[in-house]
Amino acid sequence: MAKRTFKIFRFNPETDEKPSYKTYEIDVQPAWTILDVLNEIKWFQDGTLTYRRSCRHGICGSCAMMVNGINNLACELQIATMKKDPIVIDPLPGFEIYKDLAVNMDPFYEALKRVKPWLINNDPAPSRERLQSQEEFALMGNSIACILCAACTSSCPSFWTDGEYLGPAALLKAFRYTFDTRDHGLDQRIEALDNKHGLWRCHKITNCFTACPKNLNPTEAISKLQKRIVEEKL
Amino acid sequence: MNQLLKQFGTQSGGSTAWIWQRITGLVLVIALFLHYLFLHFLNGGNVTYGEVSGRLAMPLWKTIDITFLTAALYHSVQGVIMNIHDYVHRAMLRVTLVSITWVVGLILWITGIATVIAIKSL
Ligand code: SF4
Ligand code: FES
Repeated sequence: MAKRTFKIFRFNPETDEKPSYKTYEIDVQPAWTILDVLNEIKWFQDGTLTYRRSCRHGICGSCAMMVNGINNLACELQIATMKKDPIVIDPLPGFEIYKDLAVNMDPFYEALKRVKPWLINNDPAPSRERLQSQEEFALMGNSIACILCAACTSSCPSFWTDGEYLGPAALLKAFRYTFDTRDHGLDQRIEALDNKHGLWRCHKITNCFTACPKNLNPTEAISKLQKRIVEEKL
Repeated sequence: MNQLLKQFGTQSGGSTAWIWQRITGLVLVIALFLHYLFLHFLNGGNVTYGEVSGRLAMPLWKTIDITFLTAALYHSVQGVIMNIHDYVHRAMLRVTLVSITWVVGLILWITGIATVIAIKSL
């Protein structure tokens, strides 16, 4: 057990005029993650603390937040890897705050819907699955591993200045389907992509790449998608 | 009307501007290299009006410099417009700023071309 200090962003729009930080001293067990600390606070010290979590296995994407200035998954980030004290926990930047660490994710899901994140293929379905070779599958890279946690989109300065910008997560999803050899939907997605709030707002800042807890590279995917759209237009 | 304003200055969604930004960027790398090589290195860094006007009197150099000017202006105008699209979300203000940028770019381009064409050897 080691005592660690946590400075946590607190804001209740119904009662507080402005946000503030509250400091908690916690006895941390060796294998604890940030989520364990939040649970410890919520369950035993201060039940008013609000945050999202579900799976605790880094797969549902609910617990993304900013820890010491970098977006990450609370349930994956081990306290033992962080030497600095206090550890500062903020909500995902760029979104409206509902309460404390819980933010309004609507703009994120709206952007996602605009790129039609599903397989578009009107050919009659084969009797079994639509087969892909290993090489065809490799074209999508590891983009299929995205858990839609929004750590990337919320770290993106282009998204901070333009709330309607599709953002890295939605663009990664568009990449995933555009480079899926079974998908025929590019002409249905192109309007959302080749748009003032689309692909061209990416200025290769690469915050998304640093933030992604799954080590995905939305910046690279966006570059490939930009080339693909330009080829399509030429 | 508002819809029209929203779309104004977005240039077929942005892909055309994006590809030209890359092409002019490439032209700038080559043109800048030639510019530095001839203006600042090959003559020992001795830049005089006579020397520059002598070179600019040649049709080949006129072509190179007009290409340089066009690429530089297009690239910078697009860069400014990119910033406007990043930060200005009020349609009317954006339309105004984008228009001003194009007009200023055009005036600079015409002035530059007129100068390059007019230059004769001393
Ligand atoms: S790309 Fe990474 S950071 Fe972005 S939503 Fe997917 S998993 Fe999260
Ligand atoms: S709780 Fe599901 S990803 Fe962290």
